[in-house]
Amino acid sequence: MEAYRQEIIVGAVVIYMIFCVITGLWAMRRTKNSSDFFIAGRGLGPIVVSLALFSSTLSGFGFVGGPGLVYSIGVSSFWMIVISSTGYALGFFLVAKRIRMIADVRNCISLPDVVAARYNSEAVRFLIAVTIVLGVMGYLATQILAMAVVMQAILSGTEMFADIGLVTCVVISSAVLIFYCVTGGIIASVYTDVVQGAIMMIAGTLILLTAMSVFDGGMQEATSIILADDGEAIMPFGAAGIMASLGWFFVFGLGLAGQPHLVTKMMMNKKISDNRSILPMSLFGYVMAALLWVSIGVIMRAAVIDGVISPLSLPDDAASVFLSVFTNPLLAGIVFAGLFAAIMSTSDAFLNIGTAAIIHDIPKAIRGHSIKNELFWARVVTVILAIVAASFALYSHFQDATLVAILGAFGWGTFAASIFPVLAIGLNWKGATALGAISAIVSALLINFIVQLAGIVLPYGILGGLIAFVVSLILFIGVSLVTKKPELDADMEAVLNI
Amino acid sequence: MRSKLIVVIFTTVLIMAGLLIAIVLADSVPNGAGLPHPEFNGMQAGGDGAARLEHIGSLAFAFQCLLLLLIVCLATLGVAEQRRSPELWAYMGGTLLFSLFVWYKMYSGHQAFLETGITNYFMGFPVATAWQVYGTWLGAIPLIILYTVGFRKYIFTEEDERKYEQLLADIAERSEQ
Repeated sequence: MEAYRQEIIVGAVVIYMIFCVITGLWAMRRTKNSSDFFIAGRGLGPIVVSLALFSSTLSGFGFVGGPGLVYSIGVSSFWMIVISSTGYALGFFLVAKRIRMIADVRNCISLPDVVAARYNSEAVRFLIAVTIVLGVMGYLATQILAMAVVMQAILSGTEMFADIGLVTCVVISSAVLIFYCVTGGIIASVYTDVVQGAIMMIAGTLILLTAMSVFDGGMQEATSIILADDGEAIMPFGAAGIMASLGWFFVFGLGLAGQPHLVTKMMMNKKISDNRSILPMSLFGYVMAALLWVSIGVIMRAAVIDGVISPLSLPDDAASVFLSVFTNPLLAGIVFAGLFAAIMSTSDAFLNIGTAAIIHDIPKAIRGHSIKNELFWARVVTVILAIVAASFALYSHFQDATLVAILGAFGWGTFAASIFPVLAIGLNWKGATALGAISAIVSALLINFIVQLAGIVLPYGILGGLIAFVVSLILFIGVSLVTKKPELDADMEAVLNI
Repeated sequence: MRSKLIVVIFTTVLIMAGLLIAIVLADSVPNGAGLPHPEFNGMQAGGDGAARLEHIGSLAFAFQCLLLLLIVCLATLGVAEQRRSPELWAYMGGTLLFSLFVWYKMYSGHQAFLETGITNYFMGFPVATAWQVYGTWLGAIPLIILYTVGFRKYIFTEEDERKYEQLLADIAERSEQ
């Protein structure tokens, strides 16, 4: 079997991609209008929503960047994942029920629709939509690039595709992504998410078992090796220190309820009462998949320190080296398929919300109504958005990474700082005002932009995203407290009372 | 009357901002956010753990205590005001105490390691890290239990569902007229 390692891995990835294409074709028959395309007609069951929710949370970053971060900075990066239980809990307490109710009451198909209804403000809709588009470009470009780099690494190991170029890999991976997103919209997306989520859970569990067998003394021997080398790296705050760790706890924990691609999925379930089972199922799936992040990272750091393997060229190689050195080919195939699954599930979620912002929300905010024939234009814009993001990814790789890096700043942290107060608090506090919301969004965007552009490094590893989040919360509540309490429409008043 | 809970949340965030400013202004140390590993390229090392907590340790400890308070307050904000019974407040108080206990065990376990240089292990990790890995994950379980088990009592009661169905029916009726 070892002799066919590369072929097995390629086979697993190809099977997965064929599955995505077939799902796209199947979902196309169920997609009749823009509501189906963007929010699956609010008719999904709890298992589908749970798997879609957690698989979109753990992107390619979780599979590649996560183990790389543990290799690089030790336990510090654990804070991004141990907070997931709190993050999911807050997301459900603060957002899940009311976003679903508002979506029903006002027939919303996007997050900007919901905030526009809540604040009765097209300015808030516009700002949230622009934030989403900027964030989506950065996220999509990095996800497509990651997918192409991994594909090139896999294919170049075979005789037939030994000389395959990165551009070809970008084209192949983008084509599959575009096909199933365009044909089936969010319905294709969530049903591929179901399989993606299952693969990720299986991969996480099997990787943990493999990782525990690398050293005779299991995980404890690995952590002892790291401890002997640098105690701080395996202590609770890791190499990056206490403030970086707590910053991640804050931004990733509270911020989950501000991620547009996740909260949009909370609008898709058929019944509000399903939320009580969606929460534990999502969290369980996430924890199982995240085992991969923790276990590969710890084992790879220990293995390099102990001289079991050579030092890595890049921290992000941790997962791929682990798979090639320590796992059997079948497991490597499953994990690589899981990696594609993770990247694609996040990418399709972003393509979907980005398209909604462009064809539905920005025109509505500016002209007072969205464009005609939304379903047709949704498909057109999905293609354009993916092509622009793919071009962007290639330009960044070959020419200049600055632009993508800047837009990359509009990632999790910016979404968290700009959307969390407006959505999560705003849906639970009638005193929140449009001016408070605008102040929060603008301050979050400005601080993240300035920190990124000026390359500001704060002492003790304090994150720019943490500062943006705290300022945004203060402005949102503070400005709302000093401005006139808004008069809510009767339906909004009723929803906020329930 | 303004909700007192939002004022508590606002005050908590303001104090956290004050702590962040104090940390930014505190004396800095070279390894505050880690240093390049002396031997392996791409790895960071923490170095002297006691030195990097010397000026900010207590501020950071207080920051996290407030963050845990903020999390519990926000979860409570997610429960409709009329459902925030004394029983719920007691439960949320217990959740906060549990989270604070986990945080204290983690922080004090780390301090003990810094003083002695030795540690026990629990399920593969040094004890302080085990509190972080397992304890933090479990710290939110009371919230998840409340949401799941108490869904029909605190989150979306039968009465809420009836009101909601009525609201949808009213809207549908108005749109037909």
